[in-house]
Amino acid sequence: MASFTERMAFVLVMALCLSGALAVDRGNFKTCDQSAFCKRQRALKPGESPYRALLETMELTNTRLTLQLINDNNKVRLLLELYRLQGNITRVKINELKPLKPRFEVPDVLVREPPTEPLSLLSQDENGVVLSLGAESQRVIVSARPFRLDIMEGRDVLMSLNSRGLLAFEHLRMRKDTQADSEAEKKEEVDPANPAEQTTKDEDDKDEDGMWEETFKSHTDGKPNGPSAISLDFSLPGVEHVYGIPEHAETLRLKTTDNGDPYRLYNLDVFQYELFNPMALYGAVPVMLAHNSQRTTGIFWLNAAETWVDISSNTAGKTVFGKMLDYVQGSSETPQTDVRWISESGIIDVFIMLGPTPKDVFSQYASLTGTQSFPPLSSLAYHQCRWNYNDQEDVKLVDAGFDEHDIPYDFIWLDIEHTDGKRYFTWDPHKFATPKEMLQGIMDKKRKMVAIVDPHIKVDSNYKIHNEIRSRGFYIKNKDGGDYEGWCWPGSAGYPDFTCADMRSWWASMFAYDQYGGSMENLYTWNDMNEPSVFNGPEVTMHKDAMHGAWEHRDVHNLYGFYVQMATAEGLIQRSGGVERPFVLTRAFFAGSQRYGAVWTGDNAAEWDHLKISIPMCLSLGLVGISFCGADVGGFFKSPSSELLVRWYQTGAYQPFFRAHAHLDTPRREPWLFGPENTALIREAVRQRYTLLPYWYLQFYQAHCTGQPVMRPLWVEYPQDPATFAIDDEFLIGTDLLVHPVTEEGARGVTAYLPGKNEVWFDVNTFQKHNGAQNLYIPVTMSSIPVFQRGGSIIPRKLRVRRSSTCMEHDPYTLFVALNPQRTAEGELYIDDGHTFNYEKKEFIHRKLFFANNILSSINLAPDAKFSTQSWIERVIILGASKPSKVTLQTADGQESQLEFEFDSSMSVLTLRKPGMNAGEDWKVMLQ
Amino acid sequence: MRFYVFIASVFCCAFADSRKIRGISSSYKRFYRERKSFLCIDGSKLIPFEQVNDDYCDCEDGSDEPGTSACPRGRFYCTNLGFRPHYIPSSRVNDGICDCCDASDEYNSHIRCQKTCWNLGQRERAYVEGQMRTLDEGLRLKQQLIEEGVLLWREKQAQLRELQQKAEDLHLKVEEHKKRKHQADQHKEQTLKTLQAGGAGSRQHNNTASGLFQFLDNNKDGSITVDEVQARVVTIHDEKRLLSENEAVALLGGGRQMDLTMFRHTLWDTLTKGDNVKIRDTNAALDSPVVEDPLLMAADRAAKWEATNLKKVEEAYETVNMEISDLQQKLAIDYGTDWEFLFLNSQCYKLQVYEYTYTLCPFNQVTQENTAGTQVSLGTWGMWAGEPKNQYSQMVYENGEPCWQGGSRTATVTLTCGTETALRSVKEPSKCQYIMDFQTPVACQPVLKQRGIHSEL
Repeated sequence: MASFTERMAFVLVMALCLSGALAVDRGNFKTCDQSAFCKRQRALKPGESPYRALLETMELTNTRLTLQLINDNNKVRLLLELYRLQGNITRVKINELKPLKPRFEVPDVLVREPPTEPLSLLSQDENGVVLSLGAESQRVIVSARPFRLDIMEGRDVLMSLNSRGLLAFEHLRMRKDTQADSEAEKKEEVDPANPAEQTTKDEDDKDEDGMWEETFKSHTDGKPNGPSAISLDFSLPGVEHVYGIPEHAETLRLKTTDNGDPYRLYNLDVFQYELFNPMALYGAVPVMLAHNSQRTTGIFWLNAAETWVDISSNTAGKTVFGKMLDYVQGSSETPQTDVRWISESGIIDVFIMLGPTPKDVFSQYASLTGTQSFPPLSSLAYHQCRWNYNDQEDVKLVDAGFDEHDIPYDFIWLDIEHTDGKRYFTWDPHKFATPKEMLQGIMDKKRKMVAIVDPHIKVDSNYKIHNEIRSRGFYIKNKDGGDYEGWCWPGSAGYPDFTCADMRSWWASMFAYDQYGGSMENLYTWNDMNEPSVFNGPEVTMHKDAMHGAWEHRDVHNLYGFYVQMATAEGLIQRSGGVERPFVLTRAFFAGSQRYGAVWTGDNAAEWDHLKISIPMCLSLGLVGISFCGADVGGFFKSPSSELLVRWYQTGAYQPFFRAHAHLDTPRREPWLFGPENTALIREAVRQRYTLLPYWYLQFYQAHCTGQPVMRPLWVEYPQDPATFAIDDEFLIGTDLLVHPVTEEGARGVTAYLPGKNEVWFDVNTFQKHNGAQNLYIPVTMSSIPVFQRGGSIIPRKLRVRRSSTCMEHDPYTLFVALNPQRTAEGELYIDDGHTFNYEKKEFIHRKLFFANNILSSINLAPDAKFSTQSWIERVIILGASKPSKVTLQTADGQESQLEFEFDSSMSVLTLRKPGMNAGEDWKVMLQ
Repeated sequence: MRFYVFIASVFCCAFADSRKIRGISSSYKRFYRERKSFLCIDGSKLIPFEQVNDDYCDCEDGSDEPGTSACPRGRFYCTNLGFRPHYIPSSRVNDGICDCCDASDEYNSHIRCQKTCWNLGQRERAYVEGQMRTLDEGLRLKQQLIEEGVLLWREKQAQLRELQQKAEDLHLKVEEHKKRKHQADQHKEQTLKTLQAGGAGSRQHNNTASGLFQFLDNNKDGSITVDEVQARVVTIHDEKRLLSENEAVALLGGGRQMDLTMFRHTLWDTLTKGDNVKIRDTNAALDSPVVEDPLLMAADRAAKWEATNLKKVEEAYETVNMEISDLQQKLAIDYGTDWEFLFLNSQCYKLQVYEYTYTLCPFNQVTQENTAGTQVSLGTWGMWAGEPKNQYSQMVYENGEPCWQGGSRTATVTLTCGTETALRSVKEPSKCQYIMDFQTPVACQPVLKQRGIHSEL
């Protein structure tokens, strides 16, 4: 309330410069020039690589190749390790041969030590070696002087490393002014085999600004380990489109960075972020995909320190006309994209995923970092959030409001104000005096709640959580060894060291019902501020010289949020004895975060451009494994017009994580507060989401099994159609639904690209059929959500939309069979209990629905699985059908019966009335 | 569009005997008479009667499935014997949540619903009775308050008239005092002029009795007064000393004034002899005629006196006028058709909610005070804002303290019927927008009573 305003004011003054304009204060965040290592590395000129491969040091075992590299300027040696991994992945690791102390290697992100495949030597001479990369006629060529790697398939170079000579490895060194004492000691370490090299060592080790200390604004980063940056360049011949490296508020297709800053990966709490720029945001996934119509590849740069990515292209500056001219004149220059990664510390550990299809790259990446966790079905439904629902009475009224207006919802959320003074795991004693009573009230409606648990812990000796963390020594330490303290919502706060496994298991145990007072099984968790956000820290985050055990925060920064969500998800699993699937939303993330729950795009704003950017932002996350993505519906900051709000609901209803959220200072915006017309529009959008939940659930099951993204850019499914490569105002859900949300104010129509030369697409509302490979103008009204079902697909829906998804559990299905020109279609149906891990024990139904030769049949895809459902098939709607004379149903026991049907000849829609078979059984429907 | 019907053997069911149609009210029974076919209530489609409540939606309007969840737009009738019947959306039929107190909506689900209509009905009846009592009592109190209001209104009107009278009186007084002040000012000015002129001409006047008289008669009213003597006549021994009143009276022959005739025979002689008194040395007088001249000083005193008086009267007039406009402003507020809300005007009501104390002073302002004592205005009286039907059901207070993100705080007060006048709840659903529940007998409406208890109870 009023006092909060003051607190906010303080926070804002702390975290940002107070300015009238509603936009990010860029001055709070570093540019490459202000980040000493980035500036140093970016100043290196291409073509002057000092690195040479010492071929005589090469060792080739069954699983790996090792080779020393030497920097001819300072004679420091590096060790290159090269692995061929199963599934067409090549791993390249470069570390110092003998670092002064160990350099950080990212743990816990890979699901296992990736299994290798044998490498074999094809040829060798004094200039280099050629190795075979398994069976696919792929080779890697190691050139010695200067060192470079080229990965070839046949005669084509797929990717080159250090081809521009930008490999840089700042070796650990003693500080000059303290060097004298340890000189003797150091000498002993010198490789006795190469005494000559020592004489010129350190030749280029002139101290530059920012190597041993760096100041940004009022914050000084003492760098006891000195410079430690690494960098490597990759060339991608034939590539003009690169994607990924979220999180940025950027178009799907990444831009070249020649004329500005590189894309930055450094998890930051950015207040009112700006769109279309390379600034870092809340999460970081150092994975880039490169695509052309022949091949898709990926680069996974496994490093958790501050990272910058430069992209340049030899065609970027060319106009369409210029490109045409090249083509006509047969210009020899092939398009090429060059990428360069720069990280502040750690080692070079890069996974080169060689595709060749987009699906292969997704599988390859999933084999490294895991797939999307399989969420509880209800978490795919609609979430109602606000900072804040004020008290239990408020929660009750909002819950009742949804029933009164007949709008379904599954989760209601509580932001930070629900706690007792921002002490997480507690409840405000007045406003939320009887949380179990409240949760029971929600449970009675088969609904659920999410309460926030942030990782900053109030420093207060009367707070159990704080006392335990302190006494167990679980807090991150400052550089002097004391507990690190920063300023966040509760005031002075400590930050538990989530990189420590013991800390994580203790944290997980705090979610036990007897530890987390007032919690119940329908209470789930939201981790916010886990970049971590430190209001009075440099760039609103933690000092890089803070200590996580032996490692500096510098080394692990981008991992912090990943670990917070990991520990929290583990807590939710444990509290149920390992039975229930968790649901945890996080704002910060890293590669592998897909294994622990959902992410959202942070504090966006109620503006049309923010609605638009939600599409590429979630598409980019999907490409790098994180499928469960959403943006705050309505926009977090500011207040949406009713038109924007309605359009946002219509868009959000077709994005994976569907949650409305609003800032504390905005007027209320529950769906019924904008007049009956808008209420009806929002109700309809939410209802469409609920009817499609079986399809969404199936998509997530598949994402969980295979690592394919749920929300997909068009090029993923139509990789040979260049027209799709840059599209990011429409998207696919799975393979079968194409969505082009209306994101323009006052729109009268949208132009959607319907992909696929041989495809047909059916408007899901009118059943109108359209041909693929065309731009289609679609007139829209306020009620329009342009969505198309692909001809050739079968989508199961539940049309009896109820109060919550759980209420619909046993409801019957309607199958939407959209025929392709060959008059076939197929789809899948997946059913389980919706919330436990029992699917891992094969307790589910997974069926293939198949239409061909006028027979629609349901085939068991998992004969070894068992599960029974009450759900039955109440209706089959066949789009693009012709009129049958008779329709016969054959059930599993061989019984035949005739079905009633209705045929709409104007739209060629055949509706089978109440076939009634159980959804889990074998059956056939024959049209005659 | 043509419709083909094939009666499948699986769905051949024994619907032969007349049965209760689930989910309809008695008034709808006529649509569901057992016949061969059923016409959707919107007339859109004719279906076999077996397809009524067969868990498949055939009618656009949902009328064929009143008792199942099959139709998206259907509704289910809870008879709720013992309580109040009502419709629920079809989607709540067999969803595992008990909606109807007679448990009729969950006839085919896992959940066992308690039949609670009787209890609910009893509770409802008790509640309604309580409400009725409250309403009765509230209306009685309201009547009192209306009467009081009328009295208060009259009293205020009388007070206003009184004040207006007072103002009129004061207005006259002001005019009079203005006149007096004007005169005094003029006199002062004249005295000054005379004095300045007299400095040059006094000697020649001294030669004749009438001339000297004229000189002494400062205000030219044809008689010399004590003041005038004091102003111009001094003892020969001490020219600086002002004659005492007694001395002046003695010179005037024992009286307080003297005309020219008398002057010729008395004071003229005395002055021409010049033994005891003489005309003030005019040379000395000329040096500082204004300051020194007693006549002038007297005139100045008089002018100042009149100015003070005027100011006092003017101030009093202004005060009364302010009181009048205050009162008029108060009386211009809409206090309800019977001035029933008038009594609230000078009152304030407090309520503590968590760490804040809220104070509502109706028709005046709303404030919020935290435990540290910091007070924030949530708005000053704006207007009545209820629905047109009953505009006195809601008040709005606006232009309170500005908010962090722009705009200013506002408070919306909803008035509800109760036997006491008190602030019942305060909420802040959105930042800086406060909602208050204010209970008072004057919000009680007799219409409520007529609506009465539901016939089904």
